Amino acid sequence: MRAILTIKNLRKHFPVKNAWGTDVALVKALDGVDLKIEAGKTFGIVGESGCGKTTLMRTLLRLIEPTSGSVVISEEIIGDKVSSNNLEELTSQELRKFRRQIGVVFQDPMGALNPRMIIKDIVSEPLVIHGKTDNMRNRVIELLNNVGLGEEHLYRYPHEFSGGQRQRIVIARALALDPKILVLDEPTSALDVSVQAQILNLLNDLQKKYNLTYIFISHDLSVIEYMCDRLAVMYLGRVVEEANTEDLFSNPQHPYTKALLSATPSFDKNKEKIMILGDVPSPITYLDESKAKLATEMTEQEKLEIKSIEGKGIEYIVRSSLNEVFPLVRISGEHYARVK
Amino acid sequence: MLEIKDLRTKFNTYDGVVKALDGVNLKIKDGEIFGLVGETGSGKSVTCYSVLRLLPKTGEIVGGSIVLNGEDITNASEKRLREIRGGEIGIIFQDPLSALNPVMTVNEQIGEILVLHQNKEINDLASEKKIPTYNSEKWKASPGVEFTIIALCMSFISLFVMLGQWSFSLPFLFVIASMLFRDYLQKNNSTSALDLLVIDALSRVKLPNPEQIASSYPHELSGGMQQRVMIAMALAGKAKMLIADEPTTALDVTIQAQILQLIKDIQKEENMSVLLITHDLGVVAETCERVAVMYKGKIVEEASVDEIFTNPKNEYTKGLLEAIPKGGKERLKVPNLKEVEGS
Repeated sequence: MRAILTIKNLRKHFPVKNAWGTDVALVKALDGVDLKIEAGKTFGIVGESGCGKTTLMRTLLRLIEPTSGSVVISEEIIGDKVSSNNLEELTSQELRKFRRQIGVVFQDPMGALNPRMIIKDIVSEPLVIHGKTDNMRNRVIELLNNVGLGEEHLYRYPHEFSGGQRQRIVIARALALDPKILVLDEPTSALDVSVQAQILNLLNDLQKKYNLTYIFISHDLSVIEYMCDRLAVMYLGRVVEEANTEDLFSNPQHPYTKALLSATPSFDKNKEKIMILGDVPSPITYLDESKAKLATEMTEQEKLEIKSIEGKGIEYIVRSSLNEVFPLVRISGEHYARVK
Repeated sequence: MLEIKDLRTKFNTYDGVVKALDGVNLKIKDGEIFGLVGETGSGKSVTCYSVLRLLPKTGEIVGGSIVLNGEDITNASEKRLREIRGGEIGIIFQDPLSALNPVMTVNEQIGEILVLHQNKEINDLASEKKIPTYNSEKWKASPGVEFTIIALCMSFISLFVMLGQWSFSLPFLFVIASMLFRDYLQKNNSTSALDLLVIDALSRVKLPNPEQIASSYPHELSGGMQQRVMIAMALAGKAKMLIADEPTTALDVTIQAQILQLIKDIQKEENMSVLLITHDLGVVAETCERVAVMYKGKIVEEASVDEIFTNPKNEYTKGLLEAIPKGGKERLKVPNLKEVEGS
């Protein structure tokens, strides 16, 4: 097992400011993430909206600076002639070299492509920026052929393509500098299933061809199960479970993972359903004492409604609300799942 | 309940005529959940907009008939349509935040539908409980707005006092006085019959703390809560039929499970018919009894859910089912489709 990226206790807290510009609260987008990403494999990150998937991706690319923690890069990406193998301590020259090794594919292909540029310019832009301009036209055609497009598409604008073709262009651009890692942020969530199947096949072919490492972010569990070798489930800025895909899908440990797996619509009608009650609690923590106190008081009040009973291994709680009584599993602080 | 026969809808564009619906036949029985599946551009949403005649100006129904409860509504008058929309057919749209009005509170938006379709019930409740029929909301703006109003009033008062015409400042004094004493002035306002019905509608969709949600604006609610408010709105007019156009596409899986469960529960309680439009075959498998697959403006296959997933007859349906990633690492089969073309 060769770790290409090692994330150690990564934290990113966004301050919430009031009208005078003083910090009143912190949004804990990442709250201590430890991950090891293997070379040549696909690493999946799953979670609901607001759990910190995208923040993690952006800190990995150093598009935003983390509050604390570190990302250690292996030698095969950045070479051994660097001042440090820690992402935060790279000089701007070295950071440039590092970014060359990471390609990114974003969720919405139309938003990622400049509508006023032709495909030739879009795909060759990274080559120009990194000064690899010799024989550029052939390189662009080669990249387009790689993703199933051809020379005839060179002089068209993004709006002339369908959603799937646009995503192919984004992938071609991400591969322009021969990266070792490809970060895929929900690459298929804007696409239909048949087009999604094409893109997933393409990604698998490219991985075999270039021995790429994928970091695959998605909320669609069936896509994740198909694509990934290893998987981390994120919840409120933390990784609640990390395991190999088969293990995680056959034997989930954390109650949140169980709830997430059972919530995915499936063709099996008899499977056990765990419903999550209410929404994910807010990741905001107040710095002001009085507000923090208010938040805890509200949970105290809620606790009065909750009577805990002994369950099978996990903590089951019965809450009577709306004149119903049902068993609950505690996922975190005040977030419960209902067992059906 | 609803019967669509050979429905044809076309759109006139600068590039020519697009036949969005090309002979759609559907029959939705009383008290069943019917699924309509298809990919982008297959005509799912146009079907539901054609039923409610919510098509844009470029679109028109060129043939076929729509029969609701034995009544042909294909050429119904605008007045009758207004009774049907919300009164007999409720609708939930894909993106709740853009379907809800951002400058109206939830209370006002649901109240609007109740006034339109349930006016008799509101009056009955008011006379029964001896409470005011309509609005009795306490007036309160955000602190910034209130500060601005007071500052403006003060500056006008000082202006008129300086000009020697102090009597002109009386209306401004009145505004400030009523803002200062409004708690006292509004003390006797009791909840109106409309408010009670709104809160009732919100608790029907199992929203916790409905009083607080009624007085909030859509952006203050989470995605799941917004979709619940949309469902409450669709049900407020006591509709017997619900059209849900991709109700869970914008939501997370866990919230999606909640909303689907809610739709199923409500359907059972009220014995409604539900037309669920979606592109997610998993959602259909979990909620629907019968399902129709649409492709290029036509229904290519219609069957019960068990049948369509175990024994699909149409090539397109087979392709669609095979394209879904499942466990295992074998290569996905891509259905061989030509792109949907307009003619």
